Amino acid sequence: MAMKKKRYALVVDSRKCINCKACVVACKAENNVPIGNFRNRINEERKGEYPKLSINFEPEQCHHCAEPSCVRVCPTGASWQRKDGIVLVNYDECIGCRYCMVACPYDARYFNEEQGVVDKCTLCSHRVDKGNVPACVETCPSKVRVFGDLEDTSSRIHELLATRRYRVKEPQTGNGPQLYYLL
Amino acid sequence: MGTIRMDRRLFLKSAGATAGAVAATQVGCLKYFKKGRSSAAETKEIPTTCELCPNKCSAIAVVEGGFVKKLNPNPENPKSRDMLCARGNAAIKQVYDPDRLKQPMIRVGARGEGKWKPVSWDEAFDFAAKKLSEVKGNYGPEASLWSSTEGFQEVFFKNLGLAFGSPNLVRHPTLCLASVNLAYSATFGTVPSFDLLNSKFVIMSGANRFESIITPDTMDLIGGVMERKAKLVYLDPRFTVTAAKADEWYPIKPGTDLAFILAMIHVIIAENRHSKDFVAAYTTGFEQLTEHVKQYTPEWAEKETEIPAKDIVRIAREFADAGARALYYAGRRSSWYQNDFQMRRAQAILNAIVGNWDQMGGMVPNAKLPKGEFLFMPWDEPKAPRVDEIKTAFPLAAAGDGVYLKLRENVLSGKPYPVKAWMVYKQDPMNSLPDQAKTLKMIEQMDFIGVIDVQMSDMAWYADVVFPESAYLERTDPVEVMPGIWPAVVYRQQVVKPIHDTKPNLEIVQGLAKRLGLGDYFDYTIEQWVEAEFKDLPIPMAAEHMKKHGVWAASGQPSYGKTLTPDHRFVTKTGKIEIFSERLQEAGYDPLPVYAAPVQPPGDRFRLILGRVGYFTHANQSNNVWLHEFMKENDLWINPKPAERLGIRDGSYVSVSSSVGSVKLKARVTEEIRPDCVFMLHGFGKKSKMQSLVYNVGASDAVILETAWDKVSGNAAFHETFVKVANA
Repeated sequence: MAMKKKRYALVVDSRKCINCKACVVACKAENNVPIGNFRNRINEERKGEYPKLSINFEPEQCHHCAEPSCVRVCPTGASWQRKDGIVLVNYDECIGCRYCMVACPYDARYFNEEQGVVDKCTLCSHRVDKGNVPACVETCPSKVRVFGDLEDTSSRIHELLATRRYRVKEPQTGNGPQLYYLL
Repeated sequence: MGTIRMDRRLFLKSAGATAGAVAATQVGCLKYFKKGRSSAAETKEIPTTCELCPNKCSAIAVVEGGFVKKLNPNPENPKSRDMLCARGNAAIKQVYDPDRLKQPMIRVGARGEGKWKPVSWDEAFDFAAKKLSEVKGNYGPEASLWSSTEGFQEVFFKNLGLAFGSPNLVRHPTLCLASVNLAYSATFGTVPSFDLLNSKFVIMSGANRFESIITPDTMDLIGGVMERKAKLVYLDPRFTVTAAKADEWYPIKPGTDLAFILAMIHVIIAENRHSKDFVAAYTTGFEQLTEHVKQYTPEWAEKETEIPAKDIVRIAREFADAGARALYYAGRRSSWYQNDFQMRRAQAILNAIVGNWDQMGGMVPNAKLPKGEFLFMPWDEPKAPRVDEIKTAFPLAAAGDGVYLKLRENVLSGKPYPVKAWMVYKQDPMNSLPDQAKTLKMIEQMDFIGVIDVQMSDMAWYADVVFPESAYLERTDPVEVMPGIWPAVVYRQQVVKPIHDTKPNLEIVQGLAKRLGLGDYFDYTIEQWVEAEFKDLPIPMAAEHMKKHGVWAASGQPSYGKTLTPDHRFVTKTGKIEIFSERLQEAGYDPLPVYAAPVQPPGDRFRLILGRVGYFTHANQSNNVWLHEFMKENDLWINPKPAERLGIRDGSYVSVSSSVGSVKLKARVTEEIRPDCVFMLHGFGKKSKMQSLVYNVGASDAVILETAWDKVSGNAAFHETFVKVANA
């Protein structure tokens, strides 16, 4: 029986983010991310003059783009994309040239000094393949991220994207980012 | 002894599958690295209960090759559900922290000099027992002080103090929320839970619940505000994350929250918006309240609080309209002013008159679950009165917890009697008490200090002997019932064996007890204790269930309104909800909250306000390497207007001085604070070199905070210090 096509993505409701960093630490533990490196982060924007002020938080990680520029520029084929959309690095093939880090519009990759390879968010593919959600999605106290399969019309993220307004970051790059921010 | 890095061989051994990753330092080693990654180490999932804050969230530890790799939330807990905060996730690093206490140590240099001799457990126990016995012989058992903070194994420590014959147990509540507990008890006869999951209108005074501590209440509230369209009104002199997420934020003049609440009550009663049926059926003293609040008009409150009268009127109306689903939320935060009890009483009264008691979305008395008890040999009650004179100084306060700052004053003065030995469990009085210089004086005049902790806290740094406790992931602890709207039972079981020469607190207590001739009182194992507790739990096959699941909660949904029957008697003097309190009057306090304007800082001073950030919250987590990455140093928040006046530039160092001390901090010139106060975070500027990430980095608020307390509860008042700020 042929496997049904999948396309994994994240929908992010930034308004609910309180910058508590639970997702960052969960990722660090789950993926052995070295001190000083991060696979996900929370962007912060503070504006205004006392007492008219605002703070906005925006979680960000690899956008697992439809047309990932990191994969395109990789000279060895180490950066690659699974059929379900997850962009990964094959550590065997990576020579540490870091072209992909320059090509990524989202600053989502880091160089792992210890291993001599580039690394990044894997959307916790090892968890996803066992039917679990990524660590950042699971641990979040305010459930900012929704993970799911865009091809599955009964999924929560399909419903959210069908019913809510959203934006993607840097659409002009043609990367086709798959991190959807609800408005 | 300076920082001790983790033994490399031990690390490689315990790291198991990930060991290869450490060895692979260059590209040429990648083959080895890959092997390490793909090796199939045995993976186990063990449910347990988080200990890094008091909220007892349920977690599932993923253990690979004997190494705790990950902590996942355990969704079976109805309160913590599927959340684990940053700190909860970082608990792994508590186990594998290279700075950890790894064996018992006895001080060899001067106190605080940091010269230690590693010793065997026998030596440490013998030494401490000898010193404690000397103090007992010279001054009596009451000359020993036993101070501890909330924890599942705290019971053993307290019992040792009592069996030793000391009445002087002192716990954390008067550094925390004793004023809240006392105010709600005085009004309702109990401290309720707040049903944030279902409330429609929430007001908070300074309890920065989206930022300072991340708990299930945070999760319920953010869900309420963002998904269920609950309204959040937030008062804080500082623009916090909670302020940013609230529907309305008011930078209230510090110390005037009571005026705001009294004016709300004034409006609600004047406009006849209170819940008349509820007030008539369940409360007493509404008539006196009506008279009492006539003076507290919104126009008057505007002058005190700097919140416009029209907003106070509107908020009061909206709050009353939300009725049973409106909440003035106490939150989790320490006390700030000397009127804190009365401010909390006013909140309780406001909640009472809109009829939110025992309602969905309101305040709900906690349901409890039965638990078995291990019957140990009882000891004689300590004979001496408490050194803090709590019975006369704070007649309504919880005697079992003590009153910390009054206790310190009395110990320093040697009256009513000398205290010469100090045992500390899981607490850092050096940072949690205001006025560190005073705490140091208290330390100086002790003949003996022993500390039990996982890490070398600042208190441990000044001890004579340090007993290293096993981290929570290395221990099995007593069973804990979590009372609440939806009560649950949680269990903490050993996830990995201790990686260093540490012991669980019970075994440390037993080692001391044996040498103090008190061994018979502690003649049991943790397994026997836990088995006895399992027995009366309302759970079929309780032991098996708790070991397999780590948590149990009754199925179905919580029920509301059990106390809303005509014959229900509240645990108060009148059996009713006491708006007017005769008990307070008899004890010499205001029976209804009376407002007195707080003293304002003189022209060249600022009020120092404090706060927490949820990565650490308490002082004991800022040395965790995964959390330290988010904040490496604390700074001083100051508004641009006074900063300009004083010539202070963003990022430059300033000195911050009070009447008791002075610290140096980096200035953060920010619009996000009122011009009349400055702010700093708690948990930095450690004196212990074995807190290597935060040793001498930033500053400890304890150095400059002055001693002040709430008059009724004795709770430390942390916002009563005025400071001078100048370029350093």
